[in-house]
Amino acid sequence: MTDATANPIPGTASKGKSLLEQDDRTKRRNAAEKRFRAYGIAAISIGLLFLLALLWAIINNGIPAFTQTFINLEVELAEENLDPNGNRSLEDIRKVSTFGYNPLIGAALIAETADIETEVSDGDLTKILSASAAAVVRNYVIENPDQIGETVEFRLLASSRVDGYLKGRVQREDLARDRNLDAAHLDLIDEMVTRGSTERVFNWDFILGADASESRPEQAGIGVSMLGSFFMMIVVLFAALPIGVAASIYLEEFAPQNKFTDLIEVNISNLAAVPSIVFGILGLAVFIQFAHLPQSAPLVGGLTLTLMTLPTIVISTRASLKAVPPSIRDAALGVGASKMQSVFHHVLPLAMPGILTGTIIGLAQALGETAPLLLIGMVGYIASNYPDGVASGFLDPNSAMPAQIYEWAKRADPAYYERAWGGIIVLLLFLLTMNIIAIILRRRFERRW
Amino acid sequence: MEDMVHVERAMSTQQDIKIKANTVQVYYGENHAIKDVDVEIADKTVTAFIGPSGCGKSTFLRCINRMNDTIDICRVEGDILIDGEDIYHPNVDPVQLRAKVGMVFQKPNPFPKSIYDNVAYGPKIHGLARNKAELDEIVEKSLRKAALWDEVKDRLDAAGTGMSGGQQQRLCIARAIATQPEVLLMDEPCSALDPIATAQVEELIDELRQSFSVVIVTHSMQQAARVSQKTAFFHLGNLVEFDDTDKIFTNPQDPRTESYISGRIG
Repeated sequence: MTDATANPIPGTASKGKSLLEQDDRTKRRNAAEKRFRAYGIAAISIGLLFLLALLWAIINNGIPAFTQTFINLEVELAEENLDPNGNRSLEDIRKVSTFGYNPLIGAALIAETADIETEVSDGDLTKILSASAAAVVRNYVIENPDQIGETVEFRLLASSRVDGYLKGRVQREDLARDRNLDAAHLDLIDEMVTRGSTERVFNWDFILGADASESRPEQAGIGVSMLGSFFMMIVVLFAALPIGVAASIYLEEFAPQNKFTDLIEVNISNLAAVPSIVFGILGLAVFIQFAHLPQSAPLVGGLTLTLMTLPTIVISTRASLKAVPPSIRDAALGVGASKMQSVFHHVLPLAMPGILTGTIIGLAQALGETAPLLLIGMVGYIASNYPDGVASGFLDPNSAMPAQIYEWAKRADPAYYERAWGGIIVLLLFLLTMNIIAIILRRRFERRW
Repeated sequence: MEDMVHVERAMSTQQDIKIKANTVQVYYGENHAIKDVDVEIADKTVTAFIGPSGCGKSTFLRCINRMNDTIDICRVEGDILIDGEDIYHPNVDPVQLRAKVGMVFQKPNPFPKSIYDNVAYGPKIHGLARNKAELDEIVEKSLRKAALWDEVKDRLDAAGTGMSGGQQQRLCIARAIATQPEVLLMDEPCSALDPIATAQVEELIDELRQSFSVVIVTHSMQQAARVSQKTAFFHLGNLVEFDDTDKIFTNPQDPRTESYISGRIG
């Protein structure tokens, strides 16, 4: 008996202790829980910090790309330069190339800056304007031949250096190594700014325009490659959605469970993890080298991205088919529906929000994909403007938004660097929109049972 | 009073044979789930399958409308005849069979559609109605038979899933009888319902007996005693005893039946 009281039974140690006081074990457990919560909050804070840093960098670097400096200039469209014969025939006017316009613009600049004291020689004045200025004036003249002989006010793009100087990207110290612009130009610009002959406005051409060569980065825009992305997404949507959904329905609802379907399942899951550049080289081999589809075309890009998107769509579709309760299938079969009727009348409508969400997420993934496009030639300088129509939109060489961003980031001129960040903002806005649509669709069509 | 009920029940068992099973075996892969079941189920009666969990009563029930076909590893041997026709004959299409043999499941499982669409779905896919008026009539008739019409006639467009559990189960019964089946299988139809809803469904089952041969699987012996005329007791895949319900509950022949009824096994 005495032994029993000396060695109490295990588990009775806490007996008789007050509940108002925590014992050591409880304290340790509570401390561990508190530590774990602190880790979690720290992890989330670090994540948020990175996100904020990323957003700040993107917005800070990218926002300047959306505005552009223009110089207002009154150009005299002298008849002896533009239409020496004086008969206003379009044929004659077209014969005058942009070189014919340069003297007019030069003269206009001299007139504009006549009252400003500057060390810039008259011939060097045009360096503050974009190389595209002559083309802008020429296009205007071809459209309005009756204006020849008049003096017309134009809003012409400033050169990328001037634009960079006014945005704070180009410092005076940088100009020591610059062959195009020197400090005298900047003094001139400062004077023109105070006089109000320059303007910094929202640059629709950046969003809607085509890429431009290295000699005039101020003119480059993401619009044409946006269209390339659009045509690719059309291809992906109309190829990947039916194939992916049909494959998923068959695998999930009809296929017998055996080694072969297991193998297919494992392979689909693995395909989702295959690096996208592998799909790029597959697209190159199959669509271009074997099937002889046109190189650099959005059709080929879309088909290649379809290969990449299919596993995502199949996996999400199968997951949402699996999530439909089996009781619904039983109910349909129980009233004498065939397997196919039960799938198409009951299971598929219930799985639809999940399928749509998966598809949009897959599309968004494809929209942001660059690596496969490098291999099928959808990256590079697209000299042409917009495609002429739907067919040429699919078949003519084009780029895509992420490939365009990559291309800009690669180029030497810092003006392109700014545009690369701006392009990222445009791309992210598209992805954000698609994700919001996915969320709305899910909310809208979700049904409870 | 008691005697009259007995007489009525005895009378009702003198009906024609609707379903006849000969040495039915069911395998789930290697597992022999149903062993040598012979049973004759009469028309226009309620037959109850009772037995402990896992005894195979639901499995056997699902054989009668070939719902087990959807399970890959399930294999059925032996014959099940409905009106003398072997339902496992290769020429028999299970879809056609299921229109003739309706089923109500354990958990109420209305489609996430309107009440009307729930009931109208079966007649629609089987082409039972030539026009909207006929379909309306079928829906109304089925809902009336399922004792649900008065509760839902003003909100046929409301979601079937928004009703109470008992109403949902009666909706499932209405859906099952809308295809005008000859046999109605019920797999523990009241196990998810409260006592009041259970009483309503039981009352309904008794009325359905006028038109169908009803086979009901139940865990509740009281329920079997209340609603059925014939009772089959399953144990470990065997059909141990099959007889008039009164006899099973008052004078079982097999010691296993007696043990189960008195609560010693189960």
